[in-house]
Amino acid sequence: MNQKEVTVHIAKEKKVSIFKRYENSTVTTILISFVLLIAAVQFVIGAIGGNIALPTIISPNNMFNILMQVSVAGLLAVGMTLVMVTGGIDLSVGMLVSLTTIFMAKCVTDWGMSVPLALILGLMVSVFFETLLGFIISRTKVEPFIITLGGMITFQGIALLLCDSREVRLLKGEFDFLKVNFIQGASFNGLNLIIPPYVIIFIAATAVIWALMKYSKYGRRMYAVGSNPHAAFLAGVDVKNMKMSVYSLNGVLVFLASVALNSRLGVAIISGGQGLEIDAIAAVVIGGVAMSGGKGNAWGALIGAILLGTIGNAMSMLKLPGEWQYMVKGAVIIISVVAGSISAMFSVRSASKRKKA
Amino acid sequence: MSDDKVFEPSSCSIEQKDERPEALLRLHNVSKTFPGVRALNNIDFDLRKGEVHCLCGENGAGKSTLIKILSGAYQPDEGGEIYFEGRNVKLSPHIAISLGIQTIYQEHTAFNELNITENIFTGLEISNHGLVQKKEMEKRTAAVLDYLQSSLTPNMLMGDLSSGDQKTVEIAKSLVLDRKVIILDEPTASFSVSEIEHLLEIIKTIKQHGIGIIYISHHLDEVFKIADRVTVIRDGQKISTYACSDLNENMLIKDMVGRDASTFYKRESVPLGEVMYEAKNITGNGAKNVTFQLHKGELLGVAGMIGSGRSELMSVLFGAAPSQSGELFIKGKKANLRNPTSAIKNRMCFITEDRQNTGLFLQHSIARNTIVANLVNSKAFFMKPSEDYKTGDKYIKLLGTKAKNSHVLVVNLSGGNQQKVVLAKWFNTNGEIYIFDEPTRGIDVGAKQEIYQIMVNLLKQGKAIIMVSSDMPEVIAMSDRILVMKDGEVKAVLSKGEISEENILIHSIGGSKI
Repeated sequence: MNQKEVTVHIAKEKKVSIFKRYENSTVTTILISFVLLIAAVQFVIGAIGGNIALPTIISPNNMFNILMQVSVAGLLAVGMTLVMVTGGIDLSVGMLVSLTTIFMAKCVTDWGMSVPLALILGLMVSVFFETLLGFIISRTKVEPFIITLGGMITFQGIALLLCDSREVRLLKGEFDFLKVNFIQGASFNGLNLIIPPYVIIFIAATAVIWALMKYSKYGRRMYAVGSNPHAAFLAGVDVKNMKMSVYSLNGVLVFLASVALNSRLGVAIISGGQGLEIDAIAAVVIGGVAMSGGKGNAWGALIGAILLGTIGNAMSMLKLPGEWQYMVKGAVIIISVVAGSISAMFSVRSASKRKKA
Repeated sequence: MSDDKVFEPSSCSIEQKDERPEALLRLHNVSKTFPGVRALNNIDFDLRKGEVHCLCGENGAGKSTLIKILSGAYQPDEGGEIYFEGRNVKLSPHIAISLGIQTIYQEHTAFNELNITENIFTGLEISNHGLVQKKEMEKRTAAVLDYLQSSLTPNMLMGDLSSGDQKTVEIAKSLVLDRKVIILDEPTASFSVSEIEHLLEIIKTIKQHGIGIIYISHHLDEVFKIADRVTVIRDGQKISTYACSDLNENMLIKDMVGRDASTFYKRESVPLGEVMYEAKNITGNGAKNVTFQLHKGELLGVAGMIGSGRSELMSVLFGAAPSQSGELFIKGKKANLRNPTSAIKNRMCFITEDRQNTGLFLQHSIARNTIVANLVNSKAFFMKPSEDYKTGDKYIKLLGTKAKNSHVLVVNLSGGNQQKVVLAKWFNTNGEIYIFDEPTRGIDVGAKQEIYQIMVNLLKQGKAIIMVSSDMPEVIAMSDRILVMKDGEVKAVLSKGEISEENILIHSIGGSKI
């Protein structure tokens, strides 16, 4: 290919740059445009009513609020990123969160253990169950979808047995240490600003996993396994243990999400984790992780989770009925994934053009 | 009643046998050109009723292309004509089947979860007002299986059958559907000896029925057992057509070889050093009792027909598949290769046959593909992505890969450049023993020469290479010695002086199995 042709291709790529490659930039663009759109609507509605003010959606209070709301699902999304980049999926995380929260609450409320001990045991429970699923998935050829679906139902059963189908109250606020406000006294427009530790944990966990995937040998191998397991095996990657280990790591994130949920709700209940796996998978997919594996990163998952949280938030800001949330959420998921597939179509087309040239 | 439609062997038109056999299917002046390659060149070919016509030729001689034209998958170039029962026809897969031309491919295309009857009648169910007539279909299936003297029954599950029996079902299907031409492409590839004999018996039976059969096999003994006529193809040209009775094995091999050696790649020779790699009595994964030595600076070719167990042997040699018995030695030390990781640690490299599925991460950048294998040797846990790109760029320059930089995704590269990325991946591990499996498959001529030069440079640096190749000129031009494999065994080791197309073919297709 000579110089001239190369420049021609660059020009062609620029033309399709919006959809060229679905990476964090795309989901960030979607998030910002969504927020701006809602802000504009709010502003116009306010102006019509003769009240010109900063749209509440972009006020710092609201933004911190969204972060608090998405922390639990966001932590699960980060763990899901690990699993899905290696070509797997984990449907069991929601119910495992229920199980772990109930288990830890039982520890402190009914069995009289200290909080640190409950935390250690909770970590062990979630990592154990995830590792078990990972072991089965990596040693058999059964689809992870099926295994983790079985896991989800099993965990629900264990959790219900544990709590006797009742809620477990944390009467003394044993998990409130995660609710303290880091910026006590800071306020905006007369409203207090709150950043609790679990939001920090969420962002820190995202950063750690992102760095692990980008800068470590382990991360490089993770992408290799997700992209082409057989080629990875021949290139000296221990594919089976790699697959198992990402589930174990996911167990750590499930634990963190459980702690955050316990402190947010102050009560452990089976419905606490219900459906969280769907939110996590949705966030990850919006964030640009391919279902087939080998592509995506933790920042994408973080932004995906925030986008999902913002949609619900915006609905209540605009005083639209909650039922609308699901429709809009669903539409956003479909739109972002279709954008990804269109980008793939464009890149295949430009590749075939390049080959012809 | 539909009884009259039931297959009745007694009503076969055997009375035509004594007449002058007319051509059932005739190709006239058929050529097929792919970009840059002329796969077939003015082929004339004919098939008579009730005849078994064998096609012989080396790997890549053009047999498959010819079959694909007959089955309608490829269209011949302008000027080629195909006559079926005297009529000029233009074949598409649909037309070929409706005319009665059935191709039975090497790979099975059966529905394993369905039974024999359902497999035969899929898409052509006999029905009465929308209700499937199961009894009727079973009756017809049973009649044909009976005629073929098969022990199979219509209700057996396809997935439970051996590959020999599955082939029988496919032939039965052709009979039930009243096909006129059956094309068998390497039907016996994974057969046991008794299964081969059974298949040959069946073929002899059905040709009585007036069906024309085109039979392709790498096993000359089978050819001599059943062929009425044999056509030899070489480099896309028809060399000759013989009546089988006028033919012997030597004549056939002479026709199959005979390329102009002056066009072969000329490589520099490199002095050989000590033994780098040694296999002793390796058995497993299809390989049987394989023993050889590989020296420093040596290129050991591995020749043989497709399906002779070469790639399977390479997997064992690299630790990617387990061996049942035998020992491997690397630089004189016994090596226990449990998996590819230990092979890479022992400075081995494996450039696989199927680049895209087993060698590359297509959606990843050149850089990511380049560094992945050497992760085995790197001690650091954390590494900078910028170093990946530097390494990628280094090998782009070194190998002359045509890419803007190492950020480019591998999926966007041509075959030759993809192969260079695979090479970069292994060069980066600083390997000493290289296994190349079909290194130039699907690569254009210019890039081929570059790959050859890269291999010679490796030898000059004191590395050792095992090269599996089905490309006859390639294996002859590049190899210092050649192992010829057949049925998982090493049939011959040819030293430099003995290397010739003829010798390779004698050992890879000659000899008797039945």
